[in-house]
Amino acid sequence: MGLILTALLAPALVGFPLLLARRLSASVAGALALGAAAVALVATIAALARGARVDEPWLPDLGVSLTFGADQISGPLLILTAAISVLVVLHGQRHLPPGGPPALYFGLLLIVETGALATFWTGDLVVFFVAFEIVLVPMWVLIHRFGDNHDPAARREAALRFVLFTALGSSLMLAGILGLLAQAGSSSMATVATVTIPSGTSLGLALLLVIGLGVKVPLFPLHSWLPPAHTIAPTGGSVLLAAILLKMGTYGLIRLPVALAPAGFARLAPVLAAFGVAGIVWGGLVCLIERDLKRLIAYSSVAHMGFVALALGTNSALGLQAALLANIAHGVIAALLFFVVGGLKERWGSVDLAVVRPALRETWPGLGFALITGLAGSLALPGLASFWGEFLALTAAWNPAYGTAAPYAVWGPAEAVGWFGDSPADAPGLVQPGSGWDAGWVAWVPPTGFLRTLTIVAAFGAVLAAAYSLRVARLVWAGDAAPRDRAGDLTWAEWVVATVLMLAIVTLGLVPYVVYPGVGS
Amino acid sequence: MTAPHYLQIALVVLAAGAPLILLAGLAGRRIASGLAQLGALAAATCGVASLFAGHGAQALPVLRIYPPGTSDLTGVEFPGHVATDPVIATIAVTVLAVVLAVQVYAGWYLRDDDRQPAFQATVSLFAAAMLLLVISRDLILTLVGWEVMGWCSYLLIGHWSRKATARRAAYKAFLVTRLADVGFVIGVVALIAVAGTSDIDALNRDVVSWLTSCSPAGGCGRGAVDFAMTALIIGVLGKSAQIPFQDWLIDAMEGPTPASALIHAATMVAAGTWVLSQLTPVLRVGLEGTSVASWVLALAVVATMVYAAFCAFFQTDVKRVLAWSTISQVAVMLSPLAVAPGAESGSAAATGHLFSHAIFKALLFLTVGWLAVLAGSTAARDLDGIGADSALARGVWGLGLISLAGVPMTVGGISKEHVIDVASWAEDGGAHLQQGIVTVALLFTVALTAAYATRAYEIVAGRRSTAEPDADGAAQAVFTPAEGHEHGDAGPLVKAVLIALAIATLAGGLAFLGPLDPGHVNVGLLALSVALIAVGVLVGWYLRPDDALPPSRLMTLASNGFGADTAYRQLVAVPVLALARLVAFLDREVVETYVRGAGWGSGLAGWAAEWPHRRERVATNLVWVAIGLLAIAGVALWG
Repeated sequence: MGLILTALLAPALVGFPLLLARRLSASVAGALALGAAAVALVATIAALARGARVDEPWLPDLGVSLTFGADQISGPLLILTAAISVLVVLHGQRHLPPGGPPALYFGLLLIVETGALATFWTGDLVVFFVAFEIVLVPMWVLIHRFGDNHDPAARREAALRFVLFTALGSSLMLAGILGLLAQAGSSSMATVATVTIPSGTSLGLALLLVIGLGVKVPLFPLHSWLPPAHTIAPTGGSVLLAAILLKMGTYGLIRLPVALAPAGFARLAPVLAAFGVAGIVWGGLVCLIERDLKRLIAYSSVAHMGFVALALGTNSALGLQAALLANIAHGVIAALLFFVVGGLKERWGSVDLAVVRPALRETWPGLGFALITGLAGSLALPGLASFWGEFLALTAAWNPAYGTAAPYAVWGPAEAVGWFGDSPADAPGLVQPGSGWDAGWVAWVPPTGFLRTLTIVAAFGAVLAAAYSLRVARLVWAGDAAPRDRAGDLTWAEWVVATVLMLAIVTLGLVPYVVYPGVGS
Repeated sequence: MTAPHYLQIALVVLAAGAPLILLAGLAGRRIASGLAQLGALAAATCGVASLFAGHGAQALPVLRIYPPGTSDLTGVEFPGHVATDPVIATIAVTVLAVVLAVQVYAGWYLRDDDRQPAFQATVSLFAAAMLLLVISRDLILTLVGWEVMGWCSYLLIGHWSRKATARRAAYKAFLVTRLADVGFVIGVVALIAVAGTSDIDALNRDVVSWLTSCSPAGGCGRGAVDFAMTALIIGVLGKSAQIPFQDWLIDAMEGPTPASALIHAATMVAAGTWVLSQLTPVLRVGLEGTSVASWVLALAVVATMVYAAFCAFFQTDVKRVLAWSTISQVAVMLSPLAVAPGAESGSAAATGHLFSHAIFKALLFLTVGWLAVLAGSTAARDLDGIGADSALARGVWGLGLISLAGVPMTVGGISKEHVIDVASWAEDGGAHLQQGIVTVALLFTVALTAAYATRAYEIVAGRRSTAEPDADGAAQAVFTPAEGHEHGDAGPLVKAVLIALAIATLAGGLAFLGPLDPGHVNVGLLALSVALIAVGVLVGWYLRPDDALPPSRLMTLASNGFGADTAYRQLVAVPVLALARLVAFLDREVVETYVRGAGWGSGLAGWAAEWPHRRERVATNLVWVAIGLLAIAGVALWG
């Protein structure tokens, strides 16, 4: 119990005071923040290894309790969050964005981490909502205060749009959560999963939840907050946004509509898949002509999250596995790309692809290597993290009869399933979506022809990923001969961050089962 | 240790070698190159050991989506097996031997290139991917090897990335093959859906028994299998540079010659043959007789083998002659898979030609690379008579070309006879029309191949033109040495590699007494092809163009691939970019409009609401509230 609280409170207790410490020097603030983030990472891993749980009443009258714990779905996301936070804080030691006191910057990063960790730890709907919202304000300040200082108007607009969109999404999600509470009389996810909700109501709730969370994912056509936010945000902010905040959206989709409104979600799933595929193609096409490299990476995120939506839209166990893999893979790859592109923007002032600059392979081979690795990941090269999620998404979409997602998606399907534990099969029984469910609704499978058409379109969308990734490589990485500039290459902070992320990308590509081990035979 | 163990060790050595070679490159180019050659030697040794060890199957411990020894509950299996048998081991050894030759050769060829370590590291990874594909018994592992080779080919073709043409060629190669791979991926996914497993042996067994046991009237999923195989074949056509995807391989000559040797001889371009030959039970027995899949394959290879052999004759650049010849020969390799009457005969003939082609094409490319260094160019006019004074050059070049032309008793001759024999071997109820078309095309190709081989030999060996090469001669050259690139003649090691490969084009025929045994010899067919080769040699001798003269219009057109590049641009790139512009416009103007509306509305409301609170320090106060809450929560929970 202490471990989970340590993981949650370490960043919070350091982060909030840092917000006020305006005169604290950058090195002291940075060291404090790094310490807190490191403690959170160690505590998170330890808590996962020991299968720690917290279950304390909070608002007994409403049935709300502070329930924290992890299973195989949240475990990898927790490690991702804690590890990325350490990297972002580390990167901040050397690369501080202008725009405010350093302590404020580090404080904001830590508060975002707290919110994200709590989102992934909790098994309570109300706590989930609160944690989900904690992230919003610090992220807004990060964009608004520390964003790109070339154009204050654009910065304000980007920050405003981020807040408006996500707040709108959150309100829809809140309506859905309240609906679930009303139906189940409890805010515990595990309890709600066992309650049978009338199929029509379930469909309505699933719709609210999918749209609400779809904003955060972001799902086409709700994505238009993402490109400006990414473009304007400081490097650390972009990384948090891509690697952690978007993951909260997909995680929410798995935990709420997929797990708790399975009957409604089954009907909605093909629509989700269709919008996912639309996002893959839409994002990919925009990337073919986008001039701003940071915007380009943002649109590529829309395309990659489209694969996650497609995988979830198959509503199958294999699709769920694909979504988890694609989700984590995007987290590390987008983080690497945003670190590199942020570094380029810092050096060049802008990342306009129309401006001819010395090729990275010639001048800064270190940055170049990190970029080309990220781009290879972005085009889903096998052996790198992203291949498995995208390939399995296509496999699942071609034949959506590969198992049912809902039983695996329910929070904490059994007690004491640590990430390093054997498997949930050792645990006493998965939660089967209820005896009372309308079987026709739950088991409904969309016409295969529809999903197969989507699969083929998505496979073509993956070619767009290759086209834009290599377009970037051709414009930025490779080029005419130019003298090497050792001093301007990777700084020590960038070197550490890039190395860790590249190792993670290769490891996840070679042994993808660490993300979501299969079930023991 | 069993053979799969040995080959897995080779796989690890090559794959792990790649990053190590890169790191060693920081210490020095010579160290990195030595390491690369050592790794290739170790892998080749493992390969040879695998020939004599017991064969079997094993699960690969990595590249799995669930830990070895567990299964999942998703209704589909990914066993991740690798396996060997005598044929697999033979092909694996061939691949590893070519890789060793290429690494040794690259140690000399690129010794003045500052990116030599990156090149040799990529070759190592490339070899690992091909080896994985060869020993894979699982469609997903095959796909992994397939795609990694594509990526490595991008890096190798674009190795001289300081040249704009190399950058473009690499980009084009990757995109064309990746586009075709949509078919490969869909094919794999659809086959998994049909069989419920990605295991190749289980798939062959289940699909065949399922398709042959049901009544033909019911259809019983034959359409789904046919669709899957057709999609897979489209992917194979892309990587194998068959029509309509042929043009990328010609541009790929921008890569350094060792890379060309590797890509053409034993790896990427030939990989499609290997994949399809593993699926012949489904293709030739399950979908017995005519299917859409076999028609697509048959028509593509028929058109490609003749067209490419024709183009080869009219090239102004010797390296491009070899590139077109690869395209044509890979079509020959694929042809028995389209029409062979049984599963085993088709895959044996295809595999046999894959083996021969690996040997003689590696020899030809490495020889032309050596000669081009001496001549400073690969253009036919610059290579004219370059080997007139060197018996070694004439000998290795000639042996390679004789084998390419399919003269009996050379490796190329034996395997080509086998291919024609299988393709024309009619059985009752067989696909006669398809077999007829393919056989005619094969015979025609035999003559054409002899013709361009004659021309290629004559360029190098004969000193016909006395005219001095003029100034714009160099402009046509594909190969222009990088700045400060001072090559001497090849060292003894490189020459030993060439001699070894030349011997293999003769002695390699022994493999056909062992695992690649074609079964029987058709004497009538043998006589016919000898006659056709003689006709081809005569035609080639008399019609060969004079390279000292400006190229004719036909030669210019053929050297440009008859405008295939323009067609790719106009038919694919331009429409896709137009669509991209439309989408970007919609994204900016339509999707954004409702956003802006909401933004302005809320901004106004927020300003109005904020007005009475201007003087409060909201942020600070909120922070204190939050800290208080946290403190209370902490005390409550710990207490």
